[in-house]
Amino acid sequence: MIDLLGFGGRGWGLQLLQGMGMTLLVAVSAYLWGLLLGGAAAALKLSGHRGGRVAADVYTTIVRGVPSLLVIYLLFFGGNSAATWVVSLLGFNGPVELSALPVGILAVGTVSGAYSAEVLRGGALAVPHGQVEAAKALGMNRWLTFRRVMLPQVLRYALPGLGNVWQLTLKDTSLVSVVALVELMRVAYLAQGATRQPFLFFTTAGVLYLGMAGLSGRLFARAELWAGRGVRRAAR
Amino acid sequence: MGPDEFRGPMTQSPAVAVADQANTAIQVRDLHKRFGETEVLKGVSLTARDGDVISLIGSSGSGKSTLLRCINLLETPDEGQVWVNGELIRMGRDRRGHAVPADRKQVDRIRQRLGMVFQGFNLWTHMTVLENVIEAPVHVLGVPRGEAVDRAKALLDKVGLGQRQDYYPSQLSGGQQQRAAIARMLAMQPRVMLFDEPTSALDPELVGEVLRVIRQLADEGATMLIVTHEMAFARDVSSHVLFLHQGRVEEEGTPDEVFGNPRSERCRQFLARGA
Ligand SMILES: Nc1ncnc2c1ncn2[C@@H]1O[C@H](COP(=O)(O)OP(=O)(O)OP(=O)(O)O)[C@@H](O)[C@H]1O
Ligand SMILES: [Mg+2]
Repeated sequence: MIDLLGFGGRGWGLQLLQGMGMTLLVAVSAYLWGLLLGGAAAALKLSGHRGGRVAADVYTTIVRGVPSLLVIYLLFFGGNSAATWVVSLLGFNGPVELSALPVGILAVGTVSGAYSAEVLRGGALAVPHGQVEAAKALGMNRWLTFRRVMLPQVLRYALPGLGNVWQLTLKDTSLVSVVALVELMRVAYLAQGATRQPFLFFTTAGVLYLGMAGLSGRLFARAELWAGRGVRRAAR
Repeated sequence: MGPDEFRGPMTQSPAVAVADQANTAIQVRDLHKRFGETEVLKGVSLTARDGDVISLIGSSGSGKSTLLRCINLLETPDEGQVWVNGELIRMGRDRRGHAVPADRKQVDRIRQRLGMVFQGFNLWTHMTVLENVIEAPVHVLGVPRGEAVDRAKALLDKVGLGQRQDYYPSQLSGGQQQRAAIARMLAMQPRVMLFDEPTSALDPELVGEVLRVIRQLADEGATMLIVTHEMAFARDVSSHVLFLHQGRVEEEGTPDEVFGNPRSERCRQFLARGA
């Protein structure tokens, strides 16, 4: 039975590894896209600009309030019909199907970003305002103040929360299997169908997910230590 | 937008005022500041010449901090003018009619010449003392890092923190943090120093070490505006004292005049209460 997981003849080892690679690719890309989106949304929420604040609130409220699967369906099937319509305007016809990978990344990232936004906003609020005033008073411009004073400390305060968002994002990638993207979950599903060994393959997938989560958790713990310099030493 | 579009009521007739700007470090004219409905500054004027040490005293809420913060634009004055070394800070109005700086770059530039020390120190907690001190010289003035480090070390020695350069702010006492903050300000070689109650957040036994540093700077000829509740210190170190009451300069003069023989009843009451 174990040879089903191997790399020879009937083995699914290679597909499982490739699926894992695809899962990581979607997770990392979606997470980064989410950080960008979330950073922008957090900045809007904290800005004095009323319209921007409302837009960001609508985004995070809706996306966090509906199931991730719905967002994926919406972007994928909604995206397909929109693309079909655009193409028909250009004089071509026939249904258009968007490629699952970019749409999957976009969808998972949009969900991830809504959570990152809240975490980053909390991080920004945790930086004492006096430190920003000190920077201004020394003649540091807005960009410099952001880069040298805000950003490092926002990251420090936000890192634990961002670690959670990463774990969520990693798991959410499995939802992209519904649009036939062959990532880890999809491979496990195909393999158990072909071999009638659901327990074996779903357990294996579970172990692989846990492995990825565990390793990345250690990375985040390292990053927290590094970002907490100055605070940590005081706690001694 | 050209500068001409900002010629609101706030920037009228600077020529008149610029006439007497020689040796003038700070000139404030008819400054008004409102927070919502309450007018916190109701037309304050002051002049600081090079080398002046001006103490601002007054009861809590009289507007001392607000005045100081309007000078380096941490608060935006609603009306009135501020000159720094003879340069008028140009103001305009936004779409809703609120006063705003007309030129952010000018504000950044002027702030480089105005040091400020805060009641709460406001050191950057993710940087060591040395990193705090070299930050602005390196990133704002473009001083080469090595040179900035050498100068920072000399300044830290001067404020008695030579041994603490690699500590993080959270590892220092309040008095040490405030002295580090003073070194950080000095690293920009400011033409004028603004102190907003530099010792109010300190345990009594730590006040002296900070006041000693400020006094030394004053003795070296620094130009300072100091908001303080340390009356003995103000009397001793100042060339001028301003007593603020409800957003107005109620009394001003030499320390001997203001402390020894106050003319206004309110100032007399204030000093009697403090003593
Ligand atoms: N950002 C702000 N928003 C609203 N009101 C403010 C703000 N800053 C100051 N005030 C109000 O303005 C008044 C003057 O405040 P300010 O801090 O200038 O007084 P102060 O003389 O420095 O007092 P203290 O000795 O307590 O520091 C106070 O009534 C204060 O509540
Ligand atoms: Mg004050």
